Amino acid sequence: MSSTQQSPLCKPWEHSFSRRQLLGATGAGIGALGAGALGGMLDPAVAEELKKQEKQVIFVWLDGGISQLESWDPKPNTQFGGPYRAIPTSVPGIHVSELLPQTAQQMHHLSIVRNLHTQDNSHSAGVARINRGDPKNRGVVYPYLGSAVAKLMGPTSSGLPPYCWVKPYSGGFKTGDAGFLPAKYGALAFGDAKAPENLLLNESVSLAENAKRNELRKKFNNRFAKGRRNESTDANSYVYDVADTLMQRRDLFDETKVSDKDKDRYGRHALGRHMLMARRLIEAGVRFVKVNSYHWDSHGDNFNACESLIPQFDRPFAALLEDLNERGMLDNVLVIAMSEFGRTPRINSHVGRDHWPEAWSVAMGGSGIRRGHVVGKTNNLGTFVDGDEYDIGHLFHTWFRALDIPQKMMEYNNDGQPLPVANEECSPIEELLT
Amino acid sequence: MSRSILTFAILTFAILALTCSVTGAVEPLHQRIDQLIEAKIDGESAPLSDDAEFFRRLTLDLTGRIPSSQKTREFLKDTSPDKRRAAIERLLEQPSYAERMANLFHVTLMERRGDNPEWDAFLRDCFEQNKPWDQIAREILKPNPEDETLRGAAYFYTRRLEKVGQNTTDYSGLTRDVGRLFLGVDLQCAECHDHLFIDDYKQHDFQGLFAVYKGVSIRSGKFPAVNEASMSTKLDFVSVFEEGKVSTGPRVPFGKEFEIPDPPEVDPAEKKKKPDPNQPPAFSALSLIANDLTSGDKELFRKNIANRLWFSMMGQGLVEPLDQFHSANPPSHPELLDLLADELASHNFDIKWMVRELALTKTWQRSSRMASADKLPPRNSYRLGLQRRLTADQLFASVLQATGNLDRLLERSKAFNAKKDSEKTDSENKDAETKDAAAEEPAVDEYKELQALFLTAFGSEPKEPAIDYAPAVKQALFLLNDSKVLDLLKPHSGNLIDRLAKMPNTSVADELYLSIFCRLPDEEERAMINEYLAETSAANDDNENKSKEQSAENSPRTTALSQLAWAMLTSMEFCVNH
Repeated sequence: MSSTQQSPLCKPWEHSFSRRQLLGATGAGIGALGAGALGGMLDPAVAEELKKQEKQVIFVWLDGGISQLESWDPKPNTQFGGPYRAIPTSVPGIHVSELLPQTAQQMHHLSIVRNLHTQDNSHSAGVARINRGDPKNRGVVYPYLGSAVAKLMGPTSSGLPPYCWVKPYSGGFKTGDAGFLPAKYGALAFGDAKAPENLLLNESVSLAENAKRNELRKKFNNRFAKGRRNESTDANSYVYDVADTLMQRRDLFDETKVSDKDKDRYGRHALGRHMLMARRLIEAGVRFVKVNSYHWDSHGDNFNACESLIPQFDRPFAALLEDLNERGMLDNVLVIAMSEFGRTPRINSHVGRDHWPEAWSVAMGGSGIRRGHVVGKTNNLGTFVDGDEYDIGHLFHTWFRALDIPQKMMEYNNDGQPLPVANEECSPIEELLT
Repeated sequence: MSRSILTFAILTFAILALTCSVTGAVEPLHQRIDQLIEAKIDGESAPLSDDAEFFRRLTLDLTGRIPSSQKTREFLKDTSPDKRRAAIERLLEQPSYAERMANLFHVTLMERRGDNPEWDAFLRDCFEQNKPWDQIAREILKPNPEDETLRGAAYFYTRRLEKVGQNTTDYSGLTRDVGRLFLGVDLQCAECHDHLFIDDYKQHDFQGLFAVYKGVSIRSGKFPAVNEASMSTKLDFVSVFEEGKVSTGPRVPFGKEFEIPDPPEVDPAEKKKKPDPNQPPAFSALSLIANDLTSGDKELFRKNIANRLWFSMMGQGLVEPLDQFHSANPPSHPELLDLLADELASHNFDIKWMVRELALTKTWQRSSRMASADKLPPRNSYRLGLQRRLTADQLFASVLQATGNLDRLLERSKAFNAKKDSEKTDSENKDAETKDAAAEEPAVDEYKELQALFLTAFGSEPKEPAIDYAPAVKQALFLLNDSKVLDLLKPHSGNLIDRLAKMPNTSVADELYLSIFCRLPDEEERAMINEYLAETSAANDDNENKSKEQSAENSPRTTALSQLAWAMLTSMEFCVNH
């Protein structure tokens, strides 16, 4: 892709400095934005095919396990139902917990899967197992969903890093998510949605000089790479390309570009700010954005915890769905909200709920996903699935299909070893797909 | 285990028989290492490194930074046939060897949890004296608060025993780290049950060590020290999978359990007194553990240190991951690991001796470049010298060395600290003269500041093994835009850019390459540098009037020199030990 081609999502600020100056200084226009900057991640023909669609993902991870009974699958007035009521939603016949009043009004954009039955009830193994889609054990560490999508789809034409992660605490490049894939498929994390340090071009360096010095760096790297292992050279070049792209997209971290109204709609709390950041990253063209929220592990005092936590999710999640819909982006952006498992129907002696992978729920909407629909059900007490049940492998298949990933891409090649991208004993949930 | 010992015995015998029959004596260790590596090689190997490659690698591994351009020139000019061996001997005797090893062991053992001056002093002293590893390990595992030169060793414990937030003391983490770092076994998953995937790791192995650490606590005071409660009963534990209580006394993993003696009779009058927690315990399980774990006949203790030293020099462990020693994860070269471990033990765990032997091997001296490599050989074949990213500390010291700012910043650091000291001593009666002198001295310790920035950008994550130096975006942004980094590439009296600015274009390429890449440029590279400078000066001539007004600092030529240096410093040839 030519570096002068503009992203469809290109913003006027990009032209606030003289593009000509930049191009003129380098002769060939290196350093300009474009997929070229992150080239080499994908077979060109496939890249071309995927580019037409520009499918994207927002993945909201509620770490510790959100209670399905206080959110997507309420059982009011039953033995384990807890104190909260169920309320009607924008879709007749579908009810959710009263702790989700705003999301209830966006239900017509969402589907809920209520018959999940997964295999792990521990955080230590379960988090990774769910995030990797619980593939069959072949002695290979599978990538998390974000790294998988980064590998299978690459960056969008925006040229921004394909997998970004908005999280509390620290940022940095987190390679752990990549599993056996090369480190560059890891997550670029923005701690507390803040800009990385040193994002502004140092005032003593002009744009032309910056382009020049990077061009020289590449020359030295090319000479060094001859006859040597080049994995590390690749990774090194990659981080400079990402740095360069981020420096050019520093507006993404400019708080003044966000209206007070939006800040209020999403909420000023961490998860609100982080989901708003996710929307901005998606608008800018990041392929996959993960948003993390911690502390959902309500073994004690579950009901007060839910009353505090769930509204912190409800408000920005509803605003996000509303905004994506308003901008016409829901057709192309897959939105998922989930945890590593649900919580026990039985209320323990600490008025808490423990880990429950036997029967729990996930909500999703957007690209390729049927709207205003509920898949499966649990029994009257909410203790087990009633009827068909699905595992995380089914969801991975469903999502890959919803993202229109071509069939020929549905296999990894691990140094000659072919690996299915999702558990081959599972298949997509057809009734969830449009 | 017994099988590997048998294999080793047979193999050793075979090698001994072979070598003795030829030479009549046992060959030095480095030759035996090469024989064992080469025995497994099929296919082409890279040639030995050239002199420049060798000298840079050696200086990085033995002193923690690249050589100065001056030292590289001298080494390249030296025509004596034994100059490599001489260089190894020379560098091993430099004070920077002890600094480098102290840093290596600090990062390995503390995993970026923090720093402590007494701990630093302890480690430096260990390597200045070249203390045997078993002694160092014992001094860490049973700290001696009475000896000022040794007491800093307790920091290994105290830092890990500190409470984080509202969490309880992490005895499990400490138990795990002792296993990982001194025995090469990660028993984390054996805390609550026998390990599910590693048959060798039993819950008993974790609990026997855990039992001891439960009784250890931080002693309050000005220096790091621990107290130990006298152990009087065995520790009961249960498996989450099995019924029934089990109990254990103090026990090194895979070792024999120590008996707990009956507590001594205490005078009833004494009993009423509040015991002094700083008193040594009546029965010190810690002493037993420290002695048993570090004894030369503990196979894992020998192999762990051999593997870690091999890793630090070669960039790849014979057992990987370094803390996964167990029968289902055999070493890539079992006989070699046995040889290294046993030789190290029989040489009194002499680390300097082992480093010397490793540096003398062809394996370590092999080039990282292969002319005809279509498909590069596997890492653990050692057919090709491995590239290792510089550690945060190596990178910091090397950037200062390459840019010619090391001495300048160290001097300013010294001046700053001297000023601070003098302010402390005579803050009252300072005369006008010293005040004037002080005004010129730096307001902050720039060296320390810059070091902290490098460690933040390039240091591994706290509590993670410091083995994987993956490049990161924050590192790139730091080198691209941090003012203090870029200031190193502005002319300051005597630094690289200052020297280059005063040189004719024709001399620049050699000085740049020797200073930053520690080698001479080839003709193509010389031409590239000259061309770049010629372009800049041509552009300069166009603006001749303007350029006259410019100071030397931001003249186009100086800028061009800085850019060249920056590009070299951020390129792979610089940031990798190759």
